[in-house]
Amino acid sequence: MAMKRINKEMIDIQRDPPSSCSAGPVGDDIFQWQATILGPKESPFQNGVFFLNIHFPSDYPFKPPKITFTTRIYHPNINNNGSICLDILRSQWSPALTISKVLLSICSLLCDPNPDDPLVPEIARIYKTDREKYMKTAREWTNKYAM
Amino acid sequence: MESKFYAMVDKNPVTQKVALQESCHLSPSVGPANNGGSPNNRIQRSAIKYGELVVLGYNGHLPSGDKGRRRSKFVLCKRQVGNGVKPYRKHIVKNPQSAKAVQDSHQHSVTYTLSRNQAIGRSSEVPIDFVVMDTIPGHLRTGSDNITQSTISRFACRILVDRNPPFTARIYAAGFDSGRNIFLGEKAVKWYHGEEIDGLTTNGVFIMQPQGGFHPAAKPGIWREVSVGGAIYPLRESRSAPLKSCQSEHEFASQVEEINAARPQCPVGLNTLVLPRRGTLGVSEKQPYVYILCGHVHGPHQWGQKDDCSRTCPLCLKLKTGCELSVYVDSEPPTYCFNPCGHVASENTVRYWSQVPVPHGCQGFQAVCPFCSSPLHSDPGYVKLIFQDNTDL
Repeated sequence: MAMKRINKEMIDIQRDPPSSCSAGPVGDDIFQWQATILGPKESPFQNGVFFLNIHFPSDYPFKPPKITFTTRIYHPNINNNGSICLDILRSQWSPALTISKVLLSICSLLCDPNPDDPLVPEIARIYKTDREKYMKTAREWTNKYAM
Repeated sequence: MESKFYAMVDKNPVTQKVALQESCHLSPSVGPANNGGSPNNRIQRSAIKYGELVVLGYNGHLPSGDKGRRRSKFVLCKRQVGNGVKPYRKHIVKNPQSAKAVQDSHQHSVTYTLSRNQAIGRSSEVPIDFVVMDTIPGHLRTGSDNITQSTISRFACRILVDRNPPFTARIYAAGFDSGRNIFLGEKAVKWYHGEEIDGLTTNGVFIMQPQGGFHPAAKPGIWREVSVGGAIYPLRESRSAPLKSCQSEHEFASQVEEINAARPQCPVGLNTLVLPRRGTLGVSEKQPYVYILCGHVHGPHQWGQKDDCSRTCPLCLKLKTGCELSVYVDSEPPTYCFNPCGHVASENTVRYWSQVPVPHGCQGFQAVCPFCSSPLHSDPGYVKLIFQDNTDL
């Protein structure tokens, strides 16, 4: 099922792409995709272009895709390696989710971090105690790495 | 060793002798019939169609196809010449087999055997217009089922319809055999009412008329039993409705097409699902399945299936469309399904049938799917279908 389903998602996402996102295979391997997310306007990531790697497991969609940021980003739920702490990519995965829906969820995560379940506790602490500093650093990182 | 019988004389109204299993839902209404025809070529048909008898559980055709007297539906048409009979004369005889009225094959007789065991076995006699096959509930069927003739009485009942409008139809327990006799066995219940004698057949003929007719808001009526003489009685403790089709085959097909035209998708395989049309059987990846607790429609897949198959598998059931339109109470789109068999029908139709207790076994009643006879789960016995729309990606 994986191959057919990934092909179908590819056609759907190209025909009707979600706002501020794009995704598609990197080369001949349909199980390896690259995605981009434009930093949401109401966030410190505005104007940034963030790249992500998507790896589909062979039993996709029964198992979630592995998605990591390749562009560095200052965010309580995304670490140095680009790993994303998002429930739908782990325990809350459903085979009814698609890459398109997952990318939109990541966009929401950029706007609304979840500091109570942090992957980078230090950024979470700053986000909770000194929002201005968090915004400033995030904007600096965006300028430095995502433009 | 004393028997009583009535001699019956031919009168005008039409009678049809119909062998029916007790759990059949009779449809001797005057409503329009969809299709089908009298299987009996011996009857010259006229333009007037009285109604239909529809067997619950066969969804439009027998598994092996409709042939001759064996079919899932029987259409009652007006005979060229009436052949109904009325009670005429009562005799008390010592030996009914040798009585003149019984031996005379031109004279109808009903024999109430009071103290002797007499069984009428299987029969393929000519007067039987309609042979009902055993209804094997859908959940007990296997691919190689040979449906057998019902083991219930061969002369179960007869139906008399007034030859003039409003063509009132009446059903009576027991039917005349080719010698124009009805014999009731020793075990059959019988009684005197004053001078008159009446009785019930061993298995009984039960009737139920939906309150206020068969329509979208219909509620089931009360089951009653009809006697050989046509009297109506409350149900006995133990025992060994008119239906009208509201939509045409074409309308129904186009409603199924409308659902299919929206190209519903499996949310997992993202492939298009197709509600099967009449006569299209077979398993394919386009076959919709429903999660019966929530109503979500999927294609076939194994996700969420645990090692203990029995606990999770039953939630994912095959969706089948109900094609026997006679059991629809309205012409609304088929967007609900019965639980657990998954036969699809309109909301009012599933609600109605989930409330109808149908005679089952020797004492009980249970609600069944009218398309396949599977017993319905209680509360509510049906579920709304939720298709993932193509726009919901």
